Amino acid sequence: MPQSPPVEVRELTKRYGDTVAVEALSFSVPAGRITGFLGPNGAGKSTTLRMILGLVHPSSGEALVDGARYVSLSDPARAVGAVLETDSFHPGRSGRNHLRVLATAAGVPAARVDEVLAEVELTGAARRHVSKYSLGMRQRLSVAAALLGSPRLLVLDEPANGLDPEGIRWLRDFLRSFAAGGGTVLISSHVLAEVAQIADEVVIIHHGKLVAHEPLEALTARAAGGTFVRSPAADRLLERLGEAGIEAASTGAGVLSVTAPPERVGEVAAAGGIVLHELRGEGASLEEVFLQLTGEQR
Amino acid sequence: MTRLVASEALKVVTTRLLLWLGLLLAGLELLVIALHVSQDSLESLGEARGQRDIVSIAAVSALMALIVGVVLAAGEFSHRTIAPTFLVAPARGRVVTAKVVVGAVVGAALALGAAVFAWALAALLLSLRSVPLHLGSGETLRVFGGTILAAAVAGAIGVGFGALTRRQTAAIVFTFVWLLVVEPLLAIAGVQRYAPGHAIASVVEGGTSSSELLSFGAGLAVSLAYVLAFAAAGALAVKAVDVS
Repeated sequence: MPQSPPVEVRELTKRYGDTVAVEALSFSVPAGRITGFLGPNGAGKSTTLRMILGLVHPSSGEALVDGARYVSLSDPARAVGAVLETDSFHPGRSGRNHLRVLATAAGVPAARVDEVLAEVELTGAARRHVSKYSLGMRQRLSVAAALLGSPRLLVLDEPANGLDPEGIRWLRDFLRSFAAGGGTVLISSHVLAEVAQIADEVVIIHHGKLVAHEPLEALTARAAGGTFVRSPAADRLLERLGEAGIEAASTGAGVLSVTAPPERVGEVAAAGGIVLHELRGEGASLEEVFLQLTGEQR
Repeated sequence: MTRLVASEALKVVTTRLLLWLGLLLAGLELLVIALHVSQDSLESLGEARGQRDIVSIAAVSALMALIVGVVLAAGEFSHRTIAPTFLVAPARGRVVTAKVVVGAVVGAALALGAAVFAWALAALLLSLRSVPLHLGSGETLRVFGGTILAAAVAGAIGVGFGALTRRQTAAIVFTFVWLLVVEPLLAIAGVQRYAPGHAIASVVEGGTSSSELLSFGAGLAVSLAYVLAFAAAGALAVKAVDVS
């Protein structure tokens, strides 16, 4: 029997009254990889993650972790570590005590508390009240809490929100080393660039529906696609491109827009002895592709 | 379950809530006992009955226990710590049960502290007025026992009510309005006996024949029924809620 994926979402739907937050969403997160979970604000990312974590009840469909619903996991802290918002702390409790409370409930040895504090570089502030923590420190404390049970899967909801560049770099390095150690990561963001540097694949949703689920390279390839060509023999080039099975269209006098990289267009032109006056890649930025993907769903 | 109870207990002792409530309680006891000892006639002070009345201020701890219970349950929603709590312990009914247990234990502990402090304070102040002590009387000990039991019940009811409302401030305000306005109105109508506040009070008063209250046994039974009803309602409400 094949092993269940770390996270599997099937036909997941959540309605709040008449509002549909998540609609028939299905995707799975492969083990040992970093999956970016992307979508504009309000796309239903947090709701989906909270359904995976058993905090929000789905209206229909199911979300499974290691093949089981979160509630039926025998030892959730050892299976999943989750980083939700930065403000889920009692301000009058010290960071260390916050972790002790959770470690006690999870059955994690008390010594682990100091280990994770060291891992997120909070040892020095461990006994201070959380109300005295900066946003970055709170975020690290959230990460520390997620690590208590040494889980195989980390789920992070917009962890970069409000972090300074240094904090973001720290988080990125941390997630990379976690994945390098065989861990699986599901990280949400509304900013593609944040995730593009670390994700192996991306799941993009918009208005609660799946828009794309593909490796990051595929997304990059979409971005790199087009070529702009200007040639005195544009008509002939159009013909040759058609013969080569490449889609192209005339967008003006002597101007073509081709859905192939410039190298390919140059080759076809050379083979046909066609003079080119201009040849350049029309790569959209990743962000543009993202906007395109999430924009056309309106 | 042991882990959850230990975790909930740790939650209570790692904030300043108990410290503040304890100080408030001590201040209140000091004020009331000092007023009694300085103002009451030597004759009434000298009686076991009079001394019992003085230290019965410790019963205020039941109200503090109720607040602790409410905070223990509703406070997690106010501070959003309920999300991490449910992440490590997704069986929500068990979390509420653990909180009910801790609410009762902390309530009892608070009452024990209040009783010891009231007893020591009364002994000290009465001695200063050279009044012979009768603080070991059965009546006094019965009030202390009733107070501890009542505070345990109140702490447990507070947890259930807090879980049901999940709004800390609103729940505390409602509790005070209920106890200070609604139950007195019920008393005017003569239907107060089975109300939660009066049922708990009858546990404290245990045996002293007041026509306003139930007997000790009936009061305890009604109070425990409230514990179960609020805990069940609170658990159902918490199970159904989306934590977002």
